[in-house]
Amino acid sequence: MSDGSENGGAMLAVVLIAATIAFVVIGTMWPTKAALAYTGGQGLTSSSSTPEAAVQNLGDEIRASAWQKAYDGLANKAQFTEQEFEHDLKGYYPSLRTYATLDRFEVFPLHASDSDAEVRLKLYWSSVVGISEGTRDLHVVRAGDRWQVEWPIVKKPVVPPQVIPVNYLRWDVIYRGAGDDWGAQDVEAPHVRIVDMRPVERAEGVVILGELLNEDVVPAYVSVNATLIGKNQQPIATEGSFDKISHLLLPKQVTPFLINFPNATLADVGSVRMTPFSTLVPASADPVIEIDNEKLNPAPDASLTGQVINQSGQVVNVAHVLGTFYDSTGHLVWVADEYLDRALLPQTPESFNIHIPEDLARQISSERTIVSTYSSGGSV
Amino acid sequence: MRTPWAILLGGVAGFVGQLIFAQSNQLTLPAMVEAGSAFSIETAGSGQGTLYVAGLGQVIRKDVELGKTAWFPAGSLYDAGRYVVILEASGNSESGILDVAPQTKPASLSFLARPSRLPIALHNGITGAVYVFDAYKNLVTAPTPVSFALSSPSGAAQTRTVTAKDGAAWTAMDSTAKQGADKFVAEDDDIASTRVIGQVPGDPCGLKMTAKPDGDKVALATDPVRDCSGNAVPDGTIVTFTETYGDTQSTVDVPLKRDIAAVEMPAHNGATITVASGVILGNQIRWEK
Amino acid sequence: MQKTELLERSQRPLPLSLLLMAAVAVHLPLLLMKLPLKSYDTNFHIFFASHYLHHWWDPWNPKWYAGFSQTTYPPLPQQWVAVVSHVLGLEMAYMAVQLAAILLLVVGVYRFATLWVSPRAASYAALASVFLGSESFLVYSAGQLGTTAAAPLYLNALPFLFSWVRRGSGRSFIKAVALFTAAAAAHHATLLFGSFFFALPVLALAYLDRDEDGERVAPPAFFARTLAIIAIVGAAIAVVLLPFWIALIHYPVTQTPIPHPSRANYILSPQWGMNYFVVPYGALILALPFVFWRGSTEKHLRPLLLGFWVAFLLGLGGTTPVGPVLLGRAFNVLTMERFSYWATLLALPIVGVLAVELVARFRMRAAVSLTILAAFTCALAVGWTTYHPADAEDFDVSPVAAWLNRDGHDQYRYVTLGFGNKISRLAMMTDAGSVDGEWNSGRMLPELTRYGGGALTSSKYFGTAGLEALRAMLMHADHYGLKWVFVRDEYYDPLLTFAGWRPVDHLNDGTITIWSKDGVPPAQPLNAPQIPPHWQDVIWGVCPFGSSIVAILVLLIPEKRRQAAEARYPAVRDGELGLGRMVS
Repeated sequence: MSDGSENGGAMLAVVLIAATIAFVVIGTMWPTKAALAYTGGQGLTSSSSTPEAAVQNLGDEIRASAWQKAYDGLANKAQFTEQEFEHDLKGYYPSLRTYATLDRFEVFPLHASDSDAEVRLKLYWSSVVGISEGTRDLHVVRAGDRWQVEWPIVKKPVVPPQVIPVNYLRWDVIYRGAGDDWGAQDVEAPHVRIVDMRPVERAEGVVILGELLNEDVVPAYVSVNATLIGKNQQPIATEGSFDKISHLLLPKQVTPFLINFPNATLADVGSVRMTPFSTLVPASADPVIEIDNEKLNPAPDASLTGQVINQSGQVVNVAHVLGTFYDSTGHLVWVADEYLDRALLPQTPESFNIHIPEDLARQISSERTIVSTYSSGGSV
Repeated sequence: MRTPWAILLGGVAGFVGQLIFAQSNQLTLPAMVEAGSAFSIETAGSGQGTLYVAGLGQVIRKDVELGKTAWFPAGSLYDAGRYVVILEASGNSESGILDVAPQTKPASLSFLARPSRLPIALHNGITGAVYVFDAYKNLVTAPTPVSFALSSPSGAAQTRTVTAKDGAAWTAMDSTAKQGADKFVAEDDDIASTRVIGQVPGDPCGLKMTAKPDGDKVALATDPVRDCSGNAVPDGTIVTFTETYGDTQSTVDVPLKRDIAAVEMPAHNGATITVASGVILGNQIRWEK
Repeated sequence: MQKTELLERSQRPLPLSLLLMAAVAVHLPLLLMKLPLKSYDTNFHIFFASHYLHHWWDPWNPKWYAGFSQTTYPPLPQQWVAVVSHVLGLEMAYMAVQLAAILLLVVGVYRFATLWVSPRAASYAALASVFLGSESFLVYSAGQLGTTAAAPLYLNALPFLFSWVRRGSGRSFIKAVALFTAAAAAHHATLLFGSFFFALPVLALAYLDRDEDGERVAPPAFFARTLAIIAIVGAAIAVVLLPFWIALIHYPVTQTPIPHPSRANYILSPQWGMNYFVVPYGALILALPFVFWRGSTEKHLRPLLLGFWVAFLLGLGGTTPVGPVLLGRAFNVLTMERFSYWATLLALPIVGVLAVELVARFRMRAAVSLTILAAFTCALAVGWTTYHPADAEDFDVSPVAAWLNRDGHDQYRYVTLGFGNKISRLAMMTDAGSVDGEWNSGRMLPELTRYGGGALTSSKYFGTAGLEALRAMLMHADHYGLKWVFVRDEYYDPLLTFAGWRPVDHLNDGTITIWSKDGVPPAQPLNAPQIPPHWQDVIWGVCPFGSSIVAILVLLIPEKRRQAAEARYPAVRDGELGLGRMVS
């Protein structure tokens, strides 16, 4: 091998090693989207040279569940512990938020001066039942050449020591035995009835709205299926109410339901076949949930707001608020819902905000709200 | 012998026997035998033979001496239906038909009563169907009177008597005006079968609430909730209180407890409070301090 | 022969029997302990093999995704597992096939390395392959039977490729075609990328060496031979895997990409750097500067170095921008650990040179150090399954299978939540079908392909995408006859509760809850257009497995001509390395 070849080889080695290092530096300084997915969106450098950048970094750290790093970067961390900071975001009691991950966030500057700024942080949490939003308005202060966030901590609500008597009804079911003779009697499925139904055409497809009544004296576990029948009498599609319904109905309780048929058009539909299901289940009348201060807010940002209060003694881990909206003649206009991602503590109000489509908001003149609940270790 | 193979073998043997031997002249069969009773078959000729009695549910094989009577003790044939009798002797076979009828005396009833729970005062809301069986679980096809009786705890009773045709009888009855567990009894001869029909109150009737101040809240309570026949609506039934104040509203779904639904709601001067249960509306109160 | 006799003892290659015994000594106990069963994909391969065992002539498997075609995955190793399982049972058959792949790798690395370095260095490279971290990582942690079976076949084919294009040996041509085809039947990606990382450097070497050893090959002949073998191998692979190509063309993998941590930046995410770089490379990291230096300074090693370099960069996943740039959309479909595996295989010949030189210079001290480093590398990769297990917790799925198999429960489909990669094992044990599965490229249900989530059983780990897919599937439960949900993670309970499912039973001391939905009709077989026609069933049952039988048969044809390595480096004595007889 000639010296020239060896020199050329050495040069090649240097070039390859240098190129490798360069590629690694580039990939680290400006990570790909796939790589960022595993860092919580954070690159190697996270400058806090502007208020927005400081909030952006905080959002990245929350998304990566880097609680200590996020806490250490706060300007007012002396006012609370890291654990309180984490609980403020993830909930003090097991709830949807406890097991949620931050899917994405948005930063909106509201106001800025040389020494401080107001920045809105909109958080989109991914929970098992879908995305839930949360908004925090943050005060950001300058500390030397960088900015730090003052976290608006909301400390744990204090539930006073008390005894709440609970003596609500509970229904149990004894089914027929496997060895019973043919013809032996079994318990009857609860009688339920669809008391209202209306198909609506929306941009995303056809929506079937309705209300279902448990007209029996026992609790019913219910669901509703709908089949769109074409004008040629052939079925177009069958869909179910899924979670746009309260599945547990106590006697004489009414639930709204909403069934989506994506990509269907009402013009193709000749008729709709509704199939309600009901099953007898063991159930409890507890917990009782009060809904306070319900208010229909007009467009823009039309919504139904209010507060739910758990009147029982047990913690409700997840609450699902379903709103039914009517026009001035009492006709059903829309059904919408919201999951509360905070646990409902006894006698402690939690706010809800159900979005209403703006084009429908003008038609709505009244509403009815119900709440279904989930408590860990038991079903609804 | 009550195995599927035995049934299959018997069926095939009977069918083949019927095809080959159109008529028997060495066999004398009873025209009809009651299920479970003893019977005999006469044979003609001499020597030894084998007698097969094959039906859908049973096959019997018996060695016989030709010219003598073959005795079958009580309980030999218990499934009602048509049997083929084949006599095989010296390589020849002859066959005949034997009908086994169900016993005429009922031994058990299968009683289907629907529904198990229904509102009061519903015309023909209760149906009962009875199938009459003998001691060997054969459907008793002979006409037999079946009586139905629906009695409420208060003692009032509805009765019907229906003649069972081909083993089945059915009737429809009204639910009574009083809630409670009614006994629905079907009886044939001295055999009876009982079902319980829960008669439950109807929708609330004349739902009414009262309100009184309780600190900064208003305590709302319904009068005891009854249906239109005066039956107490069951505890656990949901009663909805709605308070409307200006453009805000508060709602609570409260289950009845000891016939009464009670709740505390914010006391807003001028608020309108309504009460409802299901699709039934109650009274309305305008709250003025 | 005179040259051979003059070799110093210290320059002789290690005997092949010793190398194979080392492989057996290291890996046989681990395989007898069924260690791969803890890996990510082993049960997946056994599940596929189980289907071939019972339905050799019907690749439509109704147990996952409400039905999917196994023609979407090359079948050779799984079919061998199915065949061997008649004697050993499925699990031990898997271990036997895996051991065969490990032994073939030793032979393949030696033969491949002899193209580039001396027989002694090649034998050291082959010995290193026994302890190779990436091999152990793929065998015991990833469970990639296809990749670890295809690579040895490919490596063994390359010397025949060299012999064909360099000297025009017809016998080598036939053997190369047979082995390349069998390698493709074992794993398609190995064939595709192996062409770039392995075959191109070998072709470049053959071209650079065209004037050496007195047998000059003219460039036109070189190119003609190259094109000829490409055409014939391409045609053979097209025929052998015809159902696979038809499935790929008719139903290309267009689903939303699923995140995989091998695409992470290993510096920003050091935990994945440990998993996908430190563990597979092990002590080889220390040799990287030498690999670059010697690969660059030795002219004939440069093609090998370039192949290694590109594979190395791709194996770094999202640590560099090379992967996304070179692979495009494929970067988000492929997993990157296989590139590290190929990179380490490409580095082995040069590592062999390093070992030879260290031993020559430092004798026992070097031997001891190298042994310790090799043992550490292998031990780290094998032990990694304990420190970074595929399943956080081991549990028994047989009660779940028993529950499904009784009282007509298997008339409906099921899905599991929180079962991890136990779903393959469960699928093997039950007659019921599932709407979930572990072979993402085989799934066609729109609820699964639309969102970019992986297996439904691990939905929560895929964030919004995974949960949206789960919601969509539960929403259409009636359509698929999906009546049972087996939950081993309370995280999912609120969704099931609010979506109208009810707990109906508990298993495994209450750790598994069975949820049911009312009104679901029994499952019906899907009349999917993806069901292969009968003629494809026959091809799938005959050709891939047949290709391996053909490969074994043609390898029995004796070689007449010398190998290229024998020209560059002194030949070894018969008996010292009877490699040619064993594999030729």
